[in-house]
Amino acid sequence: MTKVTLNVNGETRTASVPPEMTLLRLLREEFGLTGAKLGCDVGDCGACTVIVDGKTVNSCLMLAPQADGRDVLTVEGLATMERLHPIQKAFEEKGSLQCGFCGPGVIMSAKALLDENPDPSVLEIRDALAGNLCRCTGYSKMIEAIQDVARGDNRQPVGESA
Amino acid sequence: MKRRGRGIACMWYPIGFTVAANPSAAVVKINEDGTATLLTGTVETGQGSLTILAQIVAEELGIATDDVHVVSADTDTTPMDTGAIASRTTYVTGNAARLAAEKAKGILFEVAAPLLQVKADQLEVCDRKIQVKGFPQRHIDIGDVADRARGVNGQPPIGSATFNPATVALDPETGQGKPFATYVYATQIAEVDVDDETGEVEVLRIVASHDCGTPINPMLVEGQVEGGISMGVGFALEEEILFDASGRQVNSNLTNYIMPTSLDMPEVVVEIVDSYDPTGPFGAKGVGEPTCVSTAAAILNAIHDAVGVRVTSLPATAEKVYAGIKAKRAQEAKQITAG
Repeated sequence: MTKVTLNVNGETRTASVPPEMTLLRLLREEFGLTGAKLGCDVGDCGACTVIVDGKTVNSCLMLAPQADGRDVLTVEGLATMERLHPIQKAFEEKGSLQCGFCGPGVIMSAKALLDENPDPSVLEIRDALAGNLCRCTGYSKMIEAIQDVARGDNRQPVGESA
Repeated sequence: MKRRGRGIACMWYPIGFTVAANPSAAVVKINEDGTATLLTGTVETGQGSLTILAQIVAEELGIATDDVHVVSADTDTTPMDTGAIASRTTYVTGNAARLAAEKAKGILFEVAAPLLQVKADQLEVCDRKIQVKGFPQRHIDIGDVADRARGVNGQPPIGSATFNPATVALDPETGQGKPFATYVYATQIAEVDVDDETGEVEVLRIVASHDCGTPINPMLVEGQVEGGISMGVGFALEEEILFDASGRQVNSNLTNYIMPTSLDMPEVVVEIVDSYDPTGPFGAKGVGEPTCVSTAAAILNAIHDAVGVRVTSLPATAEKVYAGIKAKRAQEAKQITAG
């Protein structure tokens, strides 16, 4: 067993896990954070996307011990009890998700994009979502929602950014 | 070099099959606080059916969509439904929900009529009130009427209804009959670039015009059309289940079974052609499956327009398109030599 200590959504969490355990299983099974989804488990579908030190990763491809000492942000870290994150709000208003299984991964990809590039072009948005497969929506309303957030239609008041 | 082409494809699609029994049932209960509860057996899978059913009940009762509590897909409490299949839910289940709401409303009208000193058929609903047609100032809150219906008249306002599309059996001699309740229509136009050195096809834009009767929720209609087009793009260019000689699928994973990503999807323009079907709930028909019917045909017609090649098996992979371009060039060279 390997002891891993990481910062998850702003909280220090520790677990003792087998060295081959993936970050996805650590999040879901040890920490009860089931927002990141287990889809293909081989890095094709992107349903397990989380943000590690500011970059998106397929958490099914990262070992839990590799996340030791790092900052992990999952979809559970976006909303507060009071309000949804602006990306989530925009997705809700645009009807961007249908079955929703890809949603947590897509939203994390969008978050990482907007953190790095607050005013992305449509092509840059498409490029950022290319690792997240969606069978329902054709991606159109996701792209529109991300554009809305970039334009500031769904920005949170200053000082409350997640 | 890249060659631009445009293709068009049209389709019709049947809604509300009648070959076998195809019923949906619903129960609508109007509560004493003016809200309503809908029991339906249909399943929400993200397409938005339950939102549309709530909208239909709300429209019939003159209340807000948020006032309708939907209880769905629970065999303990809801009527069995034929299924969230065949693009039937808005039309068939929607009709059942509307009829159930109409019956519950009828009970309220009987209770309200003597209070407003008119006949029941002179009443209408609006803004959570029952009011006299032409005299909206003469009104009572729906919740108060529902409370009185139960507590004074002893008849709680509950309606249940079934809708089963009308059947005309097909004549075994002529094949004539009425196999479906109604039909929807659509046209899609695809614009593509075809690289004539590699056969690679890029879909640039798809414009899709869809008739679904009256669009009860246009945003959800758009979502269905955009999603259907992504399935159509995959069908046209990428998706294929491959088998080895023993019949075992060799690409049963998302690494080798290729489906459209956000980078493969073109700009999609959705046009909803507003129409009214008198047999649908508030004029609505359906929109699910019809959305991906024309896409592949439009794209393959666009490939033909771009490079003059007819691909007759799907998906139209770069390999097939390039083989077609090569064959066409060889044929043209032969004709020049012969000439």
